[in-house]
Amino acid sequence: MSSENELLIENTYKNFGNVSAVKNFNLKVEDNEFVTLLGPSGCGKTTLLRIIAGFEIPDSGDVLLNGKSIVNIPPYKRPLNMVFQRYALFPHMTVYENIAFSQFLKKKPKEEIKNKVKKMLELVQLEGFEKRKPDQLSGGQCQRVALVRALINEPKVLLLDEPLGALDLKIRKDMQIEIKNIQERLKMTFIYVTHDQEEAMVMSDRIVLMRNGEIIQIGKPKEIYNYPNSIFSAKFIGENNILDGEVLEIKNDHLVIDINGLNILTNKTSNVKIRDKVFLAIRPEKIKRIYTIENKSFDNHIVGKIEKIVFFGSTIKYYVSISEEIFLVIEEKVAEENNKHVKGNNIGDEVNLRFSKEDVDIFLK
Amino acid sequence: MKKRNKHIYLLSPLYIYLILFFFAPIFILFIYSFWLKSSSGFIHTFTLQNYIKIFSNPLYLTVIRNSILIGLVTAVICVLASYPVAYAIAFKYKKLQDVILYIILISLFSSYLVRVYAWRIILGRYGLINQILIYLKLIKEPLTFFLYSPTSVIITLVFILIPFTILPIYSSLTNISIDLHEAAADLGANKFKTFFKVTLPLSKSGVTSGFIFSFVLATGDYVTPQLVGGTQGLMIGRIISDQFGMAFNWPFGSSLAYFTLFLIVLTVNLFIWIVKILKIGR
Ligand SMILES: Nc1ncnc2c1ncn2[C@@H]1O[C@H](COP(=O)(O)OP(=O)(O)O)[C@@H](O)[C@H]1O
Ligand SMILES: [Mg+2]
Repeated sequence: MSSENELLIENTYKNFGNVSAVKNFNLKVEDNEFVTLLGPSGCGKTTLLRIIAGFEIPDSGDVLLNGKSIVNIPPYKRPLNMVFQRYALFPHMTVYENIAFSQFLKKKPKEEIKNKVKKMLELVQLEGFEKRKPDQLSGGQCQRVALVRALINEPKVLLLDEPLGALDLKIRKDMQIEIKNIQERLKMTFIYVTHDQEEAMVMSDRIVLMRNGEIIQIGKPKEIYNYPNSIFSAKFIGENNILDGEVLEIKNDHLVIDINGLNILTNKTSNVKIRDKVFLAIRPEKIKRIYTIENKSFDNHIVGKIEKIVFFGSTIKYYVSISEEIFLVIEEKVAEENNKHVKGNNIGDEVNLRFSKEDVDIFLK
Repeated sequence: MKKRNKHIYLLSPLYIYLILFFFAPIFILFIYSFWLKSSSGFIHTFTLQNYIKIFSNPLYLTVIRNSILIGLVTAVICVLASYPVAYAIAFKYKKLQDVILYIILISLFSSYLVRVYAWRIILGRYGLINQILIYLKLIKEPLTFFLYSPTSVIITLVFILIPFTILPIYSSLTNISIDLHEAAADLGANKFKTFFKVTLPLSKSGVTSGFIFSFVLATGDYVTPQLVGGTQGLMIGRIISDQFGMAFNWPFGSSLAYFTLFLIVLTVNLFIWIVKILKIGR
């Protein structure tokens, strides 16, 4: 009985004075999809969500739900619901009254409302909290109430604006999984806003990466991580070593990039010329240390000095200086055997590094 | 824990002031109300005669009843008229907020008497309203009921007391986050429902305190009725003040004051109770 719910945002623009908050925005969200709008603060995520919810009217463009434009429908008539950043629970109502609010308005029978609220409270493990007022709840509990207050209305699309922004890390991580589970269980479409790339990676089916009101890249978390389409993506999603250089040579199967005198080989891309200024991005986990000189050849082989070692539990990071100007971060899994006896584990030690040309992303400046 | 308690001493100037200039006089007044007046002064005794006297002459009860009614009507009008103003400056005309609040405050700073006299000029036999009506040829003779009637007392009191209702209602409205309005709309409430289920219940404290301020101040007022009320608009404050002045019957004045105070407190609590059981907004 789940009908096709498809949300389409077409050529949407929104300006506030001379600030352009949303620019030429095109996005299609499929049924049951968990889409995250990700980007630095001020990039227009909230504005876009508010356009979808009906609190802002776009200057131009259209929002379509199942092929029908909804831009002229007032918020209270839209079959969408929103979870607000600061919960926005009604302080004069109990948890029960908050959750039941939309159902009272729909004049549903009392018995039915009671059952539905009960189910919702079970969904977020808040049984027995019916009579509490919002000021008697913790942040995490408030957020759960806000979530089911919207879910009880069975919206076609649920919009969530940084719902975990005010929670501390531990509860945040738990809630990420919980929200994702609820979305999968209820088979609903979620549009989620966050500025936290890790959160976006954990939860989303697809990520929409934004900057200054525009879409930079859309894709599955893995795709964006592995194939960033711009230096902005490469910097924003995950960690990256960014190097600033110039194209030195164009060979048959590779390019040679000059980074302050250090030559790095990369895959060949069609759109570069000699002397072009470029950025290189290399993931910390793609750089390997070599302990013995093997006869295998790697595309890139450089020597550096360990400046700092940071232990993260399951991983360990080495901060390595290659020259006065060039620094690289290397991330390794902590494996039991390779800790002690291996050379190069101390600050000040010299290390041999290698990475293949496939692992280097190259972006024109 | 101990540290926090120390701060209570910071309040001591306030307590001393209140004890010396409020509770002590009020207590002395209470004692007076059981004394009697004689030709040579006051007889220090304990008698309920003054209170019985209130019931012996229907004039007193009528005037007290009229005063409370005038107070209630004034307070209701004040609240009803203030709410839209407070709502507008809290939500709709945020940019004008400071200017409007400034104007309201200025009207509080200007002399009370001047404002009452201004209304005498507006409402009087040859006052502004009559002049305009005559000019518009709506009436031939000046109307007299504007001045020297309960109506004129109420009109004047409303204009004098309205800042006391606008300010608390405004401040309770500004505490309501705009998120709550949007959340209500998001969950399916139109403007009307949002108002009755969210805005109004959350501004209840402002409405209640505004109502109490204006009711108490209006019921106890004795200058406005004297200047614009005439005999029709006689209020109890005037009679009480006469007991302390011309009549020089402080004991009876005290008992009248205490009896009126008792009724005012009763009315206020009745109002609070009604607001509570109404349970506005689910
Ligand atoms: N009501 C508004 N009036 C003026 N400027 C606004 C308003 N709402 C948002 N903006 C501006 O639009 C831009 C995008 O804001 P927003 O959508 O809140 O970003 P995000 O949610 O990604 O942090 C920002 O530059 C912000 O200052
Ligand atoms: Mg935002």
